[in-house]
Amino acid sequence: MDIGLLGQYLANGIMLGTMYALVAVGFTLFFGVLDVIKFSHGDVLMLGAFTGFTVYLGMAGIGIENPWVLVVFVTLSAVIGTAFIGAVIARYLVLPLKSAPPLNILLITLMLGTAIREAVRLFFPDGSNPKPFPSLLPSSSVELGNFSLRADSAILVGVGLAVIVGLHLLINRTRLGLAIRAVAQDEETAKTMGINYTMIVLVTFAIGSGAAAFAGTMNGLYYNEINFGMGLLLGLIGFSAAIIGGLGNLYGAILGGFLFAGLQTVGAVALPFASAYKDVFAFAVVIALMAWKPTGLIAERTSDRV
Amino acid sequence: MSGRLLEITQLSKRFGGVTALDQFEMTVNRGEILGLIGPNGSGKTTSFNVVTGIYAPSQGKILFDGQDITGFTPQQVYKAGVARTFQRSRLCLPLSILDNIMIGNYGRLSKGLWFNLINRRAFQAEFEEGFDQAQALIRTFSASLADRMFEPVGSLPMIERRRIEICRALISRPKLLLLDEPSAGMTHDETKQLMDDILDVRSRIADLSVVIIEHEMGVIERITDRCIVLNYGRKICEGTYGQISTDPEVQQAYLGAE
Amino acid sequence: MTAKTLDLPKKSWLGLPALAIGLIFVALVTVYGWLFLHAESEMEVLALLVAAAIGVVAGTRSGATRNVSVAMNQHSGIMNAAIIGGVLVVIGLLSQEHFSLLMLTSVLLYLTAALGLNVQFGYTGMVNFAGAAFFGIGAYTAAVMTMHTGVPPLLILLCGGVAAALIGFVLVLPVVRTRGHYSAVVTIAFAVLFKTFLEVNDVLGGPQGLTVGSMSILGWDFNSSPTLFGVEMSFYVNYALLGTVLAAVAFMFTRRLERSWLGLTLDSVRLDETASACFGIGVTRAKILAFTFGNVLAGTAGALYGMMISFIAPTSFTFSDSLLLVAIVLLGGMGNPWGTAVAAAIVVVLPEKLQIIQEYRFLLFSVLVIVMLLFRPDGLLPRQIRTYIPGWRKQP
Repeated sequence: MDIGLLGQYLANGIMLGTMYALVAVGFTLFFGVLDVIKFSHGDVLMLGAFTGFTVYLGMAGIGIENPWVLVVFVTLSAVIGTAFIGAVIARYLVLPLKSAPPLNILLITLMLGTAIREAVRLFFPDGSNPKPFPSLLPSSSVELGNFSLRADSAILVGVGLAVIVGLHLLINRTRLGLAIRAVAQDEETAKTMGINYTMIVLVTFAIGSGAAAFAGTMNGLYYNEINFGMGLLLGLIGFSAAIIGGLGNLYGAILGGFLFAGLQTVGAVALPFASAYKDVFAFAVVIALMAWKPTGLIAERTSDRV
Repeated sequence: MSGRLLEITQLSKRFGGVTALDQFEMTVNRGEILGLIGPNGSGKTTSFNVVTGIYAPSQGKILFDGQDITGFTPQQVYKAGVARTFQRSRLCLPLSILDNIMIGNYGRLSKGLWFNLINRRAFQAEFEEGFDQAQALIRTFSASLADRMFEPVGSLPMIERRRIEICRALISRPKLLLLDEPSAGMTHDETKQLMDDILDVRSRIADLSVVIIEHEMGVIERITDRCIVLNYGRKICEGTYGQISTDPEVQQAYLGAE
Repeated sequence: MTAKTLDLPKKSWLGLPALAIGLIFVALVTVYGWLFLHAESEMEVLALLVAAAIGVVAGTRSGATRNVSVAMNQHSGIMNAAIIGGVLVVIGLLSQEHFSLLMLTSVLLYLTAALGLNVQFGYTGMVNFAGAAFFGIGAYTAAVMTMHTGVPPLLILLCGGVAAALIGFVLVLPVVRTRGHYSAVVTIAFAVLFKTFLEVNDVLGGPQGLTVGSMSILGWDFNSSPTLFGVEMSFYVNYALLGTVLAAVAFMFTRRLERSWLGLTLDSVRLDETASACFGIGVTRAKILAFTFGNVLAGTAGALYGMMISFIAPTSFTFSDSLLLVAIVLLGGMGNPWGTAVAAAIVVVLPEKLQIIQEYRFLLFSVLVIVMLLFRPDGLLPRQIRTYIPGWRKQP
């Protein structure tokens, strides 16, 4: 296989990996602070992409055309809006069920995901059809033999990686991060140390949802298309990535994201004749993985005290 | 039928870097009540969990009734004749008293699909027999519970739940009963009642051996024949209550080095 | 999750014995079901919904519903026969209305599948978000076997169940080894995988789907209209009758399972796996049993469903449809098969009758479940304490 094509696959894999890692980070954060899985995460991501799209339409409507201004506003509004929604979900749907059987949180967030998906499909103008997401980044490219590196891809990956590094620094180097880690370690102790537990949970959900919205916008800018069902797939992949790396572990989530993207790319290279089965392959891998390592490659600490 | 029922030798259990049990040794004689005491985190509950197969031991050997049960699954340990209660009462709260006790009798129940789904006549016969057994057993603890077999356990006070838990463990007629802090969450008077019950049961069932983990020294003094004291996963002392309570090392473990 | 014991009511209602009240209740529900399925204008439907709400409140206030529960418990044989009789009466009254019968049969088949899910997560706590996929496996099995083999259709019905069970076995390892959230992911992944696979696979018709042959028993083709006393009836009568049989059998087995040692085992596994293992309960065995039992029901129901609508496509077996099945179990009350029956009727019939909500049904029911989980987690009809033998009392 020639180097150019290989480079293309590599670039594509890194792009996907960044996106998946951003989604997986959310899952891992939620699990860390509350020991819950929020299944609506993928649909929250989709909501972020649609928020960005709406803002774009609005701004384009009033005549703002500078793509750089647009891309900054679109991304920021998607991230901030979705972060807010994430906190609202945590406050009104997840926290009230904290002491109920864990199954109930699972069910309520799944149903919420469906509700969000359906609401977008039904209430967004012509929501059941895919929407053309604008390409706001320069699409010029550098040709290296067969391999062409597009500027927009490079920017997306660069900013995406920067966000991941930023999240890492936020969790590990700031007072807020310290509080989040304290709550993740031990809720009771964190409370007695004067940490505002509810606030930290809400902030964590906001951060995770914001990261997902960023991934959603990234997805839109890269593929130039968004649709109401995109969250289900990305959410599942992000969750699988989080599990591959071991839930509750930030590095694990990042590693898992890239590993999963690698798997998908290898699948596409190895089975070119069956590219239609790409998703089938991805989900089969998820299932096989769960059979092999039921709680991820880095086993989750068991919390079942006897 | 005298002699040793359970023999634990050189038993260790490590969790990552933490050694919860360190070369632990314990012998239980047939028909005795053995107290297992020690400060919090000294490895008492861990020893139960290793014996009942919830945790695999890192090292050591467990002999029960002449059989090597080291590394058995919880199911196999139960079949060998060991039943237990849990520190934090682990009853199925939404289920009835009868249901909870019958769970303990699982080994004797018929489990075939044909029996349970099709041959309801045979099922009813077995059900009636099981009901009588469970009711008779719980009656020895509390007559009022025996009349409320179809009430959910979740609505009962702690002492009643403990009684049901002990019945759940006893209905399979085990040779060894492991009681993990049965007085936890109960008042002084309730604890006394429950201990009366335990002594009463022991007097009825010949040959039943009991190991009891307990913090209340009054309880230990009153009901145990012999005690083992644990600290940092090791056995530091063994003997009757009178002997261990005057042992300097035990006093140090409880009161701290002075 | 609280379960309530069944006390005898202090006073019987209007001085009537519980059984009489129970039978009156069945008669009323029968008439109501007929009126509802028959209703054509949306005003009629709304009026009937209001009537139902008033009926429920009145029944609860006057203590009549308690009498009904007592009747169900102490005279279960007569009551069950009366309920089946009621369904047959409704089929008879609607015998010339295609659409009403199609709806009724759909309710019965969804009920059958939802009962399977009920065993899986109402009793055993194993979430299965691929219910519609197992339903679909049954339907596709029926499509392939009716068109390409000469196997008698009645046997194909069973094959649908067996096929669902077999494919379920592939999932059993990850599902059994994982708990709660993780096993949910396995089934969600399978649900999405199943639909995607059907869409890209040409052999099974791709997005266009497949035609399914009709049911026939002893040479009687279910797609021909039966005639009784010179009156020609809808061919759906055939399917409605067989659907009744299937749902009744599924109901009976689900009930017997719950009222047996096996049901006790499943509950114990759901509530505390570790403690269960300490009392010798085979946790894996229990989970495999429940998973397979549920999938067989879903697959069998799916096979008959395919034969009835005679044409199937991947869009009928999406993840959202799986969630709808889950919603049925949750709305009805986890672990209560009667609740499942009520919820199946609501979830299937209501969107068809109120066309305005048809498009919004996934949204509506998911919001309904969210509200339910927040404010009434036990469902419409909370599960009651297990009575192994209905009406049994210890002989003094």
